[in-house]
Amino acid sequence: MEKQVEVPPGLIHFAMLDDVLNMARANSLWPMTFGLACCAIEMMATGASRFDMARFGCEVFRPSPRQSDLMIVCGTISRKMAPAVVTLYDQMPEPKWVLAMGNCAISGGPFKFPGQYGIVEGADKLFPVDVYVPGCPPRPEALIEGILKLEEKLRGKRCFPTVEAQ
Amino acid sequence: MSTDAQSVLNETFVLNLGPQHPATHGVLRIKLTMDGEYIVDADPVIGYGHRMHEKMGENRSYAKFLPNAGRMDYVAALFNGHGYVGAIERLAGITVPERAEYIRVITSELNRLSSHLLWLGAFLVDLGGFTPLLYCFDDREQILDLLESVTGARLTFCYYRFGGVCNDIDDDFVAGSRKFIARLRSRMPMYDAFVTKNIIFRKRAEGIGPISAEQCRKYGATGPVIRGSGIAYDVRKVEPYSVYSKFNFDIPVFPECDCMARYKVRVEEMVQSMRIIEQALDSLPTGPVMAEKVPRTLKPAKGDCYFNVESARGSFGVRVVSDGSENAYRLKLRSPCFSNMSLFRECSEGMLLPDALALLGSLDLVIPDIDR
Amino acid sequence: MKIPALKSKFEAIAARGAPAPVAGAEATAPIPLVLDTPHANKGIDLDVTVPAERVVDAAKIMDDAKFMIEAITGVDWLAEHQLEVVYDFTHVESGERVAIRARIPRDKPELPTISHIYGGANWHERETHDFFGIIFTGHPQLIPLLLPEDAKFHPLRKDFTA
Repeated sequence: MEKQVEVPPGLIHFAMLDDVLNMARANSLWPMTFGLACCAIEMMATGASRFDMARFGCEVFRPSPRQSDLMIVCGTISRKMAPAVVTLYDQMPEPKWVLAMGNCAISGGPFKFPGQYGIVEGADKLFPVDVYVPGCPPRPEALIEGILKLEEKLRGKRCFPTVEAQ
Repeated sequence: MSTDAQSVLNETFVLNLGPQHPATHGVLRIKLTMDGEYIVDADPVIGYGHRMHEKMGENRSYAKFLPNAGRMDYVAALFNGHGYVGAIERLAGITVPERAEYIRVITSELNRLSSHLLWLGAFLVDLGGFTPLLYCFDDREQILDLLESVTGARLTFCYYRFGGVCNDIDDDFVAGSRKFIARLRSRMPMYDAFVTKNIIFRKRAEGIGPISAEQCRKYGATGPVIRGSGIAYDVRKVEPYSVYSKFNFDIPVFPECDCMARYKVRVEEMVQSMRIIEQALDSLPTGPVMAEKVPRTLKPAKGDCYFNVESARGSFGVRVVSDGSENAYRLKLRSPCFSNMSLFRECSEGMLLPDALALLGSLDLVIPDIDR
Repeated sequence: MKIPALKSKFEAIAARGAPAPVAGAEATAPIPLVLDTPHANKGIDLDVTVPAERVVDAAKIMDDAKFMIEAITGVDWLAEHQLEVVYDFTHVESGERVAIRARIPRDKPELPTISHIYGGANWHERETHDFFGIIFTGHPQLIPLLLPEDAKFHPLRKDFTA
């Protein structure tokens, strides 16, 4: 179910203005509350008091897809749910981004087995995904790193230091 | 009144709630036939989170199913794990050493606390109050730190094994648990003043969403739902399993049958869980945490059995049928949320929509537990 | 203890006969019809096998004795060409459990619904129908519950291939 979307190239490019717009978009991503399964709880934990996604601008979770620009697919997409997910993606206005959180959204996760009848093996089978955050479920720190990666993709450079493993 | 005006007044419309909705705790869809703001009929459509757990129980060995158990009701994953390993231990005749049983009780009750804290925050968010969520998640993170140090996971625990637990607890865990219980005990009056006595919450919960005891019996609703309707049914007391019979704790029962009664049951259960954890820590025996001579590939004898535990949401049961091979022949997972949700249609008739959402919140549903 | 009283009521139904095994199926030992089982080993106190057409009477006995419906599920006995439906009941005060079983032939998997006695059976029967294709005659809404609305497959049958 690959959808090729033809985006016409812009006639006029405003370099500085594009940079400012991209920085604004990156600093204020509005996620859609789209918890499907277990990863939704870790997304809630990321938005709650200890990990606090609001520091990075993603505080405003919009229930309506028409007011959001980031869809965090957290959880398994079942075949019954797939049309609804695609409808929600289509309802989001451009520019929009998708973050696949958790192994189920990346590739079906622990529920992919030969002869499976119920799930879609990954969100990228339905629509293009920008950032993949692996884990089952990924820790809130991992989700924040995924958001920062998306912001790096928008801005062109990363604003926050990378944590080095010790 | 003219017949035209009468027919306009009697018109109903269909409102679709979900499957993406901030108040449905997952992917639940309800087809509401509405008469203005009153619900004429609420037909829940589930299955949007169906992840084939029962099928997976048949095509993999008993041990390989252990991670699945934590992913059904992921908020209270240790109970599902306990139900599953308990059923297989009962079938295969494996005895669990005492220290392992105590550790199971301690970690399960900590999981009950974290599940109820999450429910409290989410319930208040459903009713429109966002702040308690932040307080509840703060306490919950402390529990998750403790459980992570022992199990390695924050949410979807896979800690119990056939014959015991896979990792022993250390002194840091015991000291940390005691410190946490002291902290949570000191915060309960804050929650009481902040939430329980809050006039807006009381108006949204008192007298709302009545579920009678007879309805609970006909639909199989267990857990805080049946205890909020006046029936003292708790698997830990009525069908004791593990070492629960060694502890002194009460079963909170409230007869009012409304959302406030179910709320009070859960808050009181948190207090009782803290009592159980303290008693278990005080009397924790030494010894092994794994039974000896548990075969690596379990092949229980032919037959079937049933085992159930008191999960945070109700009675979680497992019926396992074995044909002597290393895979189960049939694994039935009796989910408490499934039965609790099934009475929603009958109970929500004639309710206002916000009241029905309060009822839905007070049932404490985790949709992947319903859909399995 | 309600089990002794229930036992005699069930013996009246169960004694009317178990379904005859299908020719060509594996021969099995005769199923004991009403069995006391130790709770600590099996998790249930009474194990009853009734003919498929008598499940409504069995459910009425359970309802009169004020038992709560716990679960309804199916088991696919492919080698014996039979499907089995297992009803689990529990009593909230005493913790006693009763399991009622009924066997139906795989080619014509039908038995009456008990959803007019126990409201909770409505969803359990829909789920069993989803997974095994068992038709509960008289059910008010036997449409897919967990599977998609247009699903025509029954995944927990042993001969199911995706």
